[in-house]
Amino acid sequence: MTQATLEAPADAEIKPDELRAQVAELSRTKGEPDWLLAFRLASLEQALGMEWWTGQEESWRRTPRERLPRRARVGRVAGGSNGTAVTVPQHVFTPRAHAGLVHQIDGRVAASDLAEQARAQGVIVKPLAAAARDNAELIQQWLGAVGPPADRYDAFGRALWTQGVFVYAPRGAVVDESLFYLITQDVAQGDHWHYTLVVAERESQVSLIDGGDADDRRANLEESPLIHASVELIAEDGANLQFASVQRWHRQSAAISTTRGRVGRDASIRVTTAAFGADLDKQRIDLDLSQSGGFAEIRGLFVGDGKQHIEHVTRQHHKGVGATSDLLIRGVLTDESQAVQYGLIRIEPEGQKTSAHQTMRNLLLDDGAGADPIPMLEIEADDVKCSHAAAVGPVDPDQLFYLQARGIPPNIAERMVVRGFLSEIADGVPDEHMREVIDELVEIQLEPAKATT
Amino acid sequence: MTSPLFEIDALEVAVEDKQIVNGLSLTLRPGEVHAIMGPNGSGKSTLANSLMGHPRYTINGGDIRLSGQSVIEMAPDERARAGLFLAFQYPTDIPGVSMINFLRRSMSARRGEEIPVREFRQVLNDVLGRLQMDEQFVRRYVNDGFSGGEKKRAEILQLGLLQPRVAVMDETDSGLDIDALRIVSEGINTFHSDQNAILLITHYQRILRYVQPDHVHVLIDGRIVESGDASLAERLERDGYEPFMEQTKEGVLSS
Repeated sequence: MTQATLEAPADAEIKPDELRAQVAELSRTKGEPDWLLAFRLASLEQALGMEWWTGQEESWRRTPRERLPRRARVGRVAGGSNGTAVTVPQHVFTPRAHAGLVHQIDGRVAASDLAEQARAQGVIVKPLAAAARDNAELIQQWLGAVGPPADRYDAFGRALWTQGVFVYAPRGAVVDESLFYLITQDVAQGDHWHYTLVVAERESQVSLIDGGDADDRRANLEESPLIHASVELIAEDGANLQFASVQRWHRQSAAISTTRGRVGRDASIRVTTAAFGADLDKQRIDLDLSQSGGFAEIRGLFVGDGKQHIEHVTRQHHKGVGATSDLLIRGVLTDESQAVQYGLIRIEPEGQKTSAHQTMRNLLLDDGAGADPIPMLEIEADDVKCSHAAAVGPVDPDQLFYLQARGIPPNIAERMVVRGFLSEIADGVPDEHMREVIDELVEIQLEPAKATT
Repeated sequence: MTSPLFEIDALEVAVEDKQIVNGLSLTLRPGEVHAIMGPNGSGKSTLANSLMGHPRYTINGGDIRLSGQSVIEMAPDERARAGLFLAFQYPTDIPGVSMINFLRRSMSARRGEEIPVREFRQVLNDVLGRLQMDEQFVRRYVNDGFSGGEKKRAEILQLGLLQPRVAVMDETDSGLDIDALRIVSEGINTFHSDQNAILLITHYQRILRYVQPDHVHVLIDGRIVESGDASLAERLERDGYEPFMEQTKEGVLSS
């Protein structure tokens, strides 16, 4: 690695009155309606009433907290209610084909597009700020509807967001291809707060791919940027919602995200995430199955190098009868990178006939790498099927020997096994081009003497 | 007589400090089929794996030479590229790696250059056809979810594609029904020519009905205690390994 990892970042003192004024100014500059300002201010008060962490929470205990910026800064606001038109920056995840796309850089909209097939069905994909103006009723109904903020970052995220996307599939709408939300991190701008809201009405089907890239990956930053994403996924009865998030933020970044989903009756939410760029990536994924027959899936993939820390804190929360959930995380760790998976399956007394599973597998390619997978079960119903499995270990020497016995050199053999190991998750990403890019990023991360590209 | 193609010379192999192969010597000339037969625990799999260079096995003495050149210091992949092949008794499954990708990489490695797609397809379809294997087979992951018979057929498929100079077959007949045994045996016979040599390592004599050995060796306690022609295999089938094991015990007692 050519760049140093995060050193203890400077904590900014939180000044409540200043923040309140800044949030009001932010909302005014963006020309937001009053109810949205009220939402921001209420979220801000929630945040101000919280601690970052006490360190005792299961979800924070294993995080290298000294590497996380404890900051809540209002980012730069792009002037004008439409955002300023900017040149579309190069983006590693730019799709070959899509049903709709929003591309933002530093809160400004670089591109926004929706294919006719989706438009004709009343599908919406647009910047959240524009949706708050054009589709006020929907946003008022659904923003924050998944529940109160998960932690202080999430609460600040709801108050401070300067960019975001709204995806909406009306009842019965079926979008064949994926919708895209591309974000370019403006590394000169410091912290970023994103907000993603996806609503799939009854019997609809929609897939959103969220891709994060940085405008300058070679820049040596004086301060590590904090990148926060609040993601809210709503699948109404019978709807199928798929969300995939892939990031390769600037290497000095600390990325924190909260993804929460609410699965309706006989509905499904599938979440896939792939972490590559940020020095510290902490993902909270919390899917709520409070209706009968729901299905929730969490898939996580990562390849860590250097001193990266990659953490998944997940919850499969069952309240509905006969719902199913499945978690599969597969990660590869090189150099001195570390991973944590804290995965909770929680089944309430009414969650009979639940089927819930989780599997965490970590491949360690170097002696300095480590992983700490912790599957947890809290079951209060008696008629359920649950399983969990966690593994940490090197590449199976018998697999390497088998490939070598066919003439394949050890370094290539290891690469083949590792890519095979990750393919089960990568293959589930609902876009061919995206799968190819993930494959390339895996290759780059595995390259021992790589330059930061 | 032609010069030796493959020589095992006073080989000693240990697993976790326990010596399993005790000074075993054997010479294979081009065109020959040798069978090593031995009971459970006689060192058959240790021998097979150590010939290919499995890191779990320690060579404590002796030499292995391919066309006169020692392979002892070579890594498994170097041995394979030099023309040595091991058909595994228990082929390892590698989920996520497709057979077709694996086979193409193996063939390219063996040749020392990338094999053109068209040629690869041709050769692959040819060998698949001979082994009565479906084309869809190569879309699957390496040995993943294969039945016992499919695994063995996949090994023979690789034998046919890689065209090694020396093929070591570790209990290739185990777990095969009679039809699969015939197909696998035909695969071995088709591969066999006067340019290569085959070392069949087996417990039972039944595969030797289909693949005719020129020489049969009896392996007991990690050394060859008797060598002969194909009739030795028949004797083993009739009398079992017992007489040879008695013999070894007596040998140990009298020494």
